[in-house]
Amino acid sequence: MWWKTLSVLLVLYALAVGMFVPLKPGIAYVSPETAKSGDSLRLTLHGYNTYYTRSRAEEIRVWLQFDSAQAVMGKNLRILSDTTLEASFILPADLPRSRPSVMLNAILDHPSDGVSLLPSAVEIKRDTTANSRTSWNQNPVQSLHIIKDFSFPYRNVIYESIRNTFYHVPRWFALMFLFAASVLSSVRFLLSKKLDFDRRASALAEAGLLFGIMGLVTGMLWANYTWGAPWSNDIKQLMTAVVLLIHLAYFILRRSFDEPEKGARLSAVYNIFAFASLIPLLYIVPRMFASLHPGSTGNPAFGSQDLDNTMRMVFYPAILGFTGIGFWLAQLRTRAKRVEDRMIGLD
Amino acid sequence: MLLTLLHKEFLLEFRQRYALSGIVLYVFSMVFVVYIASIKVNAQVWNVLFWLIVLFASINAVVKSFVQESGSRQLYYYQIADPSMLLLAKIIYNTLLLLTLSGLSFGAYSLVAGNPVKDMPLFCLTVGLGSVGFSIAFTFIASIAAKANNSATLMAILSFPVILPILLTLVRLSQIALRLIQDTSYKRDIINLLAIDVILLTLTFVLFPFIWKD
Repeated sequence: MWWKTLSVLLVLYALAVGMFVPLKPGIAYVSPETAKSGDSLRLTLHGYNTYYTRSRAEEIRVWLQFDSAQAVMGKNLRILSDTTLEASFILPADLPRSRPSVMLNAILDHPSDGVSLLPSAVEIKRDTTANSRTSWNQNPVQSLHIIKDFSFPYRNVIYESIRNTFYHVPRWFALMFLFAASVLSSVRFLLSKKLDFDRRASALAEAGLLFGIMGLVTGMLWANYTWGAPWSNDIKQLMTAVVLLIHLAYFILRRSFDEPEKGARLSAVYNIFAFASLIPLLYIVPRMFASLHPGSTGNPAFGSQDLDNTMRMVFYPAILGFTGIGFWLAQLRTRAKRVEDRMIGLD
Repeated sequence: MLLTLLHKEFLLEFRQRYALSGIVLYVFSMVFVVYIASIKVNAQVWNVLFWLIVLFASINAVVKSFVQESGSRQLYYYQIADPSMLLLAKIIYNTLLLLTLSGLSFGAYSLVAGNPVKDMPLFCLTVGLGSVGFSIAFTFIASIAAKANNSATLMAILSFPVILPILLTLVRLSQIALRLIQDTSYKRDIINLLAIDVILLTLTFVLFPFIWKD
């Protein structure tokens, strides 16, 4: 059928484009990372996916920025290689806030690479004896080169693993669709008493469980890279474990009856009951606890600031593709179960 | 009708007193284990252990509600009474039973491990809401598990994931009552808990007709 071909093509598209499209140029780190106010600082910027040599040093501009109005511009730029660049900053004597130290963002504007940013790149400590002629609002960050090309955003901490967005998150979407379809089949079984609906419900739950385990594994790989440990008792990880437990319990319940009709009926009831108890689990409980996931501190949804337009072009097809494959798997399992039941004379 | 059914539940309990006394003994054994395992319990651990004791005592207390009477006698009840009324009577009876059990556990537990509760009204409210939630979920699961061959194991497996959202909210509320965390907006948690209870109770009535008819 057309939707099976389409979902395979969409998953292949998500794999190919998601893996091969490069990241936008970024700043990996700068050295030194601390300075005192009033210093004249020689800063080395280390880029990632950058081609600094493609334009002349005079065309590249660098800032150490505090906020949209207050920044210091770098002078005497020297390009050492495609990924390293030196610039001198004469820091003002005073800090923009009356604190002992402030964090500054490094911003680099390149005519062909575009803009790259490293948040909290340099820490400036207050030196009360310093004197310097520069001030914070002489050279505000402006007239940047915004390059629109087909590449994924460069984010600190996650770096290249941003690609996992296309393989981790769509699996949760697929899981939710599959479980919702499974519960719907259970309802239809209870209303019609046709064993076919029960087979479909359990097949959809099996496919959902598979996607749940894959989502958990991809999530744990990602967590190991970005949070430092595969399991950190994040509330969403706990909730996931519970979702999987519910469906494992469902499969155990199915197998603990002698009469297939009774087992089908009672497990259908449990499927509906457990799904209803999932709603508070997924939408109320995560709001009560802090989470490491994006859009955390209460919002279980995927924030709009976490995706840019290039990522959307891979992310949405990936959701459709993985969901389609899940339903295909469930359909195959339903047919296999029907054949098994016919062989033992059940249907 | 409801009152007659409720009366029947109490009568049943009163005549086979071993069930209730067994559960009470269970609670005291658990509390005693806590006592010999660690004399000094800090408030964080106190909270977790308290809910563990109440959770397992509740599961054990409710699991018998459908297996203590034979299948044919159950069928007889369903013929002479409205099945959902029968279920409601069992839920109300189990709520009262669990309230008694939680009260007993709290008494015995605070005797051996001290009583760190700072906000007693909130703690009592939490325990009360917990008993209602546990009673609804466990009674319904018990009615499913009673139909299967290995009902005791199945009861624990089936009820754990279903009860978890309630349990997490309860632990959080009692942490507030113990002043382990500061949160003034706990009224929202109480409303969440009530909402979960209403959802589960509604579903219980919608789904029970599919369970009792064999």
